[in-house]
Parts: sequence; structure tokens; C-alpha cells
Amino acid sequence: MTARSGSVSRRVDQLRDDFDRSFAEPARSHDEEHLELLTVRAGGRPYAIKLSQSSGVHPDRPVTPLPGPLPALLGLAGFAGAVVPVYDLAALLDHPVAEVPRWLVLAAGTPPLGLAFHELDGHVRAAVSDIIRETGQDGEDGGRGRGGTLRGLVDLPGGSRPIIDIPAARALVHALAGHAQATDEENAP
Amino acid sequence: MCHSVQSVMTRDPLRYFRIEAKELVDQISAGVLDLDQQPEADVVARLLRFAHTLKGAARVVRQQEIADRAHEFEEVLVPHRDESTPALPADQMRELLRLNDEISGFVTALSAPAPPVAEPAPAEPEEPIRTVPLNAPTTQAEVDQAHVDAELARGADAASDRPERAATADLDDLLDAIGEASSRIAPLRDGGRTLNRLHRNVETLGERMRVGRTTVSDASARTSVRRLAGELGALGRRLTDAVDQVERELDEVRGRAEGLRLVPAGSIFTALRRAVRDAAEAEGKPVRFQASGADVRMGPHLLNLISGAYLHVVRNAVVHGIEPEKQRIAAGKPVEGTVAVHVERRGRYAEFRCADDGRGFDLAALRRTAEERGLLAPGLDPGPQGLIDLVLHGGISTAPGVTEVAGRGIGMDVVRDVALQLGGEVSIANRPGQGATVRLIVPLTLLSMNGLIVEAAGTTTTMPLDAVRRCVRLGPDEVATATATARLAHEREVLPFLPLAQALRVPAGEEPRSGVAVVLTADRDTVAIGVDRLAGISTLVARPLPDLAPAAPVIGSVSIDLDGNPRLVLDAHGLVAEARQESTTARGDAAAAARPRMPILVVDDSLTTRMLERSILESAGYEVDLAASGEEGLERARSRRYGLYLTDIDMPGIDGFTFVARTRADPQLAHVPAILVSSRASAEDRRRGAEAGASAYVVKGEFNQEELLTHIRRLIL
Repeated sequence: MTARSGSVSRRVDQLRDDFDRSFAEPARSHDEEHLELLTVRAGGRPYAIKLSQSSGVHPDRPVTPLPGPLPALLGLAGFAGAVVPVYDLAALLDHPVAEVPRWLVLAAGTPPLGLAFHELDGHVRAAVSDIIRETGQDGEDGGRGRGGTLRGLVDLPGGSRPIIDIPAARALVHALAGHAQATDEENAP
Repeated sequence: MCHSVQSVMTRDPLRYFRIEAKELVDQISAGVLDLDQQPEADVVARLLRFAHTLKGAARVVRQQEIADRAHEFEEVLVPHRDESTPALPADQMRELLRLNDEISGFVTALSAPAPPVAEPAPAEPEEPIRTVPLNAPTTQAEVDQAHVDAELARGADAASDRPERAATADLDDLLDAIGEASSRIAPLRDGGRTLNRLHRNVETLGERMRVGRTTVSDASARTSVRRLAGELGALGRRLTDAVDQVERELDEVRGRAEGLRLVPAGSIFTALRRAVRDAAEAEGKPVRFQASGADVRMGPHLLNLISGAYLHVVRNAVVHGIEPEKQRIAAGKPVEGTVAVHVERRGRYAEFRCADDGRGFDLAALRRTAEERGLLAPGLDPGPQGLIDLVLHGGISTAPGVTEVAGRGIGMDVVRDVALQLGGEVSIANRPGQGATVRLIVPLTLLSMNGLIVEAAGTTTTMPLDAVRRCVRLGPDEVATATATARLAHEREVLPFLPLAQALRVPAGEEPRSGVAVVLTADRDTVAIGVDRLAGISTLVARPLPDLAPAAPVIGSVSIDLDGNPRLVLDAHGLVAEARQESTTARGDAAAAARPRMPILVVDDSLTTRMLERSILESAGYEVDLAASGEEGLERARSRRYGLYLTDIDMPGIDGFTFVARTRADPQLAHVPAILVSSRASAEDRRRGAEAGASAYVVKGEFNQEELLTHIRRLIL
């Protein structure tokens, strides 16, 4: 059980520190100058997800495959008696891989929606000033996903990452599934 | 305990009376209608008993109004107690219905608002809620208003007293299941005690080691540790078993509790029957009401809405559908009209049908109204169904004045609205002069069903048990053949065969393995679905697939398994359709060599017949081998795989019956269907053919190329 891999324990320590620090710091900085981000990998590529746009992150949740017309739809997962459809983020971003994603993030809003990705790198707080090209303009090229799912980049140690906009990903799923988008907008900070 | 019961009683003295009175009123309402339709002595006796019980109970809780009316009700019936066939004059019958309604109104009012603490329940509701018109209605508007009232009453009714009406048997089952689950806790408690003991032992051992009296090299210490390990292992297994059992029991509890939320469709039949009765009385037409499918269970909300809409439908059927007596006699119909309501579960949908044997929709009048309303360009002919659809699309009912057509339109508007609200569909089948059927299909949100749990290619799914006809074990060869040909010979018929793994789009194992064919029937079609194994039967609550999860039509709904994970529930209609389609595709593709069509063996001693049959078959695209005798036929049959045998009966040597029987007896050949072709046409010969195991029997005298090919298409692998 001891550190088979030092990097994991380091990361755990770092996460723990981040977590503790988040309590130590005054609340104002959350909303004003910082963004809580999950740094993830989907289909081998690095991305970031705004924590505020999600309502939970879960590892190794069993997903019951559902045969149907959408390859991006991995299947159904159970959450406290509710049945939640789970989509493969890499496939939604147009670079599907064969490997089955291990993690899933529950998208905020209704109806319930899970988005699966392969690896969770960590949880970081980024200064708003580190977000570049926020709410990506049209005509931008690099790495924009289908339906404008990627909105902006965040500069982080180890390189910049495109930010996956969960409401946009949800809108894409709604379009794929032929489901009318709910009129009430997501809380999008 | 005593105290709390006492306080409940003082706070709400009517609590138990409400339950009892509600039940009695239901029984009285149904009884009165029974009496109206089929006057029998025991119905009178039964009604007297109910009314008397109600009177007594109402007096105890000082519900004088109810007691008085129950008494009056008795008074009407007493003179008829000893009649072998009670003959109540119409006015007495109306009086019974009136009293029934009043009692029902009072009882409903008791349940509607929860009486506030320390304040006596209002003795007289401000405005008694009427469930049906008190008097024969004279205008359409009046009737419609009465139906609105009835709907309101029913809504209040459902909101207030559904839990009280849960069938006692269901509650008993639930209590049993809870009891069973509780009893499974005992082993866990024992396990807890054992765990404490082991914990103490470990601590003692640790203490001895700490003070140095024992070292790990000590033989007794090693023995202790080994023993502890063994006991811990055993305890772990016991706990796992116990938890498994508790889980299973809790699952059962949950299934039953969810089932309690559902109410049987039959609970709306009395109201429908009453609406038919009242309309029939008002119209002066004798009408019989029939209902079936009372046991189909669904959510109370859904049933309420449908009940409201169907009140209009059945009423419409009487008022606008059923003809006056004279016309019926002239049309050669029974004097008494029939309105039949049928409820059926179809997959995760419920189907409500209301059929009458009246005149059907008046298409000419419909067309006139539609043209007047500008819904239809003059001279345009939308066809009969097109006209009927106009009724469903609304607009017809907006015609000025209450006309025959508009009246029907209003009723259909309500049904259409309900269908829309519930995400369902409504359709009308019109049979001019013969009657009409209004069909409403609505999706069920929660659905209690029995499922057959099956496994295929590592996936566990559930099949609706009520669609399963039987299960047939298949050897590895049979699985391979059935899969390759998309057909399975079963009980002298060839069924489309669909491996479930294929339907679920999961790769099947490459090794041919034995399996099970589940024979399913839906939409009057039967197919076989191949699975790896059966894993039991369970009661489950199926829910619709979530939004954002479009699925293949073979998936009907989803349930939650013991671990909280979704499990797919297959849709029988979808499976049948897919198996049928795959099977057809397999045949259609045969020429394209993906699945080569298997050859046919023709056995006949007559050269002419052999050649004739060969030319027919070859021109239909089959490959044909010929044999001139039964013996030669058997030899060929064993040397090559055929899709079908076509054999004559009268041949030198072994005859056709024997040929068929021998191939049936040979495990290698038994699955190949055989058709007997003979000039013998007697029933006895057909019977012998069937006994020998022939799949079809074609008489040469009436030899019909198409008929033969139809048989072959049905049968060939």
C-alpha cells in the first residue's frame, strides 16, 4: 500500500493541500478572480472542465452499454436510483479512441447527463487572468470541437489546455439525441 | 402506544370510516349497475348487506346524512328481496342511482379536506360533489358539464384516498417481504458478535506480543494467528452471504412497494359503466357495457386522466354510435347495443380501446362540417380515413351549435388532449354501419412486470416474461446453424432466429457454444431469440429510458439491479420485428452469397413430378437435388446439408411417411423441415403426415405453385 508510485502520492498530497487551502482562503476569491478547474484527459488529449458546470465526478462507475444510433453514447449508469446516460467526451470532441473511459463527470442541469473521460489529472484553481481567448470566437481554429464545445484555453503549469464548456457539450448531446434543449440556461460563470 | 392510538382517534374519528365507507360505496356502485344490467336475487341481497353495513358504520361516527340515505336505499330494495328475478321499475332504479350518488358524494367529501384539529368534520359539504348527472341530461352542454364535474370529483378522489385503496393483498405481500428482509438481519447481528470476539482475541494476542511473552516464532502464536485468519475468512463469507440475502430481500421489498403505486385499470370500469348506463337511459337505448383487462396496472395519475377522457368516449359511443332500436332491427343487429372497453399492456405502452357496434362515424356529415369550417377544400376527397383524422385534429367541434358531428368532435378533443399530455397516440377505426373503435395508446412511466433474466455475450438483460412462449435448449451445432441461417426449426415450423448478442450489437464469442432459444410472441408473430443462458425470473419495475438516450428498438425500458446499476429490459415487439427483418435480409441476401441459400431435396418416384417440382423451385431461385426413392432420399439427406425436403408419399420401398419419420429420428437431420406432396387428400393422411413430423402437406390434385412456394419460403433454412 506504500507509495508504489511516488507521483500518485505527490499528487494526492497536492490535491489535499489544494483542498485544505481552499478552506483557508477567503471565499471572495472563488468567484472573482479564480476558476475551479478539473484537468482531465479525454482520448489522450489534455482538457480542462469548469467545476462549477458539473455536479460530481465519479471513477469506475459501471456503465451498461445501450445499443443505439449514437456511437458517442456509451450507455447508462445508475446514480441513487436514477438512470443517467453517459457520453464519451473524446467521441463528442471528434477524436474517439477504443479505450473505455474510466471517469465520468455529471453535467450540471437537466435532464441528467454524464460525460466520460479517460484520466483525471487533477483539480486546480486558475486565475481568471490565465484564461485566454475566453468564450472562443468563431473563426478560431486550434482544437475547437464540434458545435463549439471548446471555449477558451487555460494556461497551466505543463502547458495550456482547451476548456470544455459543459453547457455547450450538453447542447451538442441534446442535438445528437434529438432532444429539445431546456430553455433555462445553465449557470455559466 | 395506547396513548398515540387514542390521540389519533380523537383527532380524526373518521379515519377508519373513510376507508370502510369508500369500499362500501365502490361495492354499492358496482352492485347497482349489476342490478340494472342483470337483475338477480343475490345482487339485491348483496346490496342490502352493503347498505346495512354502511348505515351501521355511519351511525357510529354520526354521519347521519349517509346513514339516512343508506336506510332509504335499503327501503327501496327490501320489497324485492324475495323475488327470484328482481324487477325494479325504472323510477326505483333511478332512485337507487340517485341515493348511490348522494352517498358517494358525502363519502368523497369526507376524504377531500383533512379535517383540522379540534374541529368537527363538516357535516354537510357546501356543495356535494356529483360524480354523475343526477337527472337525465337534456342538452349536450349539461352532459358535458356533468362530465367535467365527474372528472373533478375523480381527481379529488384520487389525490385523497389512493393509499387507502391499495389492495390489501398487495400490502400483505409487501409486509411479508419486509418481514423476510428483517429476518435476514439476524445473521449479520451474529456476525457482529463473532467479529467482537475475534477482535478481543487479536488484542490479547497483540498484548502478549507487546510485553514480549510471545514472539512470532512462538508455535502457539502461529497457531493462534492461523486460527484467527481462518475464523475471519469464514466470518467474511458468512457476512457476504447475509448481505447478499438482505439485498435480495430489499430488492423484493422495493419492487413490491413500487408496485403499490400502481392501480389496476379495472378501477375506472365502474365509472365508465355508469356513464354508459346514464347515457343509454337518457337516449332510451338498451346498451350493454363490456370491459376487459381490469388487471393491467399503471400509475394513478395516468389512469385518472384516461378515465376522464374515456368517459367522453364511451358516452359518445352510446349517444352518437349506437342506433335507435328501430334502426338496429332494420339493420339486422341485436336490439341491445354493445360498448366494450378493453385495456391491454403492450410492451411499455398501455392500450385502451373502446369499440361499439353502432353506425360508425357519419362520413358525409363529417365532410359537410369540415367543408363548412374550411377544414377541407370543397371537392377534395381525403378518403374515409382522412375524414376521420379530421376529427382527431380538432376543429370539427368548433361548429356552431350542438350538432351530431360537433358532439362527437368535443369528445375526441378531450381524448386528443389527454393523448398529447401523456405523450400517447389516439386513432379511430371506423366501420361504417358496423361501429367504430377509438384506440388510445399511452406510454407507461412505471411498469411492474415479470422478467426472464437472460445472458448473452457477457451481457445480462431482461425479457418481458409475458411474451415468452417457451425456451428450447440448443446444442452448439444447432446454435451455429440457427445463427448462420437466421432460422430455427421449432415444432414443425421455422422461426426467424436472432442471436441476442447481435441485437445488442455486442460481439459474440467465436467458439460455437450451446445456448437457449427463447421463443417470443408479439404482434401475432413468433420468433426465436438466441441467448447463452437463462438466469432466472424476477419481478421488476421497468422505467422508460432516460432522455438523451436514444436506443435501438429492441430496448424497451430499463430497471435497476441489486447493485444500483441499470439493466436493460428488452422490448418484445422490437425483438420480433428485428428478428423478422434480419431473417428476411438473410434470405434476400442469399443470392449475394453472404449466406448461401441451402438446397432443397426432392424425393419422388415419378419423373414428371420431379422435373415439374425442380423447374418450379429452380425458377424461384433454389438449388435442387433429386432422389427417385425414399432410400435414395435418405442417402442424399445424409451426404449433404439441405434446407428442406420435399417428398412424395406413395413410392416403392419406404414411403414418404417413413422418409419423414426417419429423418425426424436422426438428430443430424431432424431440424430440416419436410413437406409432403401427395395426391392423397384425406384428413387421415394429413394426420399421419403431421404425426410423422411433416411441416406441411400439399395435395397434388390442388397443386398450386404459389402455395408450394409459400410453404417453402416459410420453412426453408
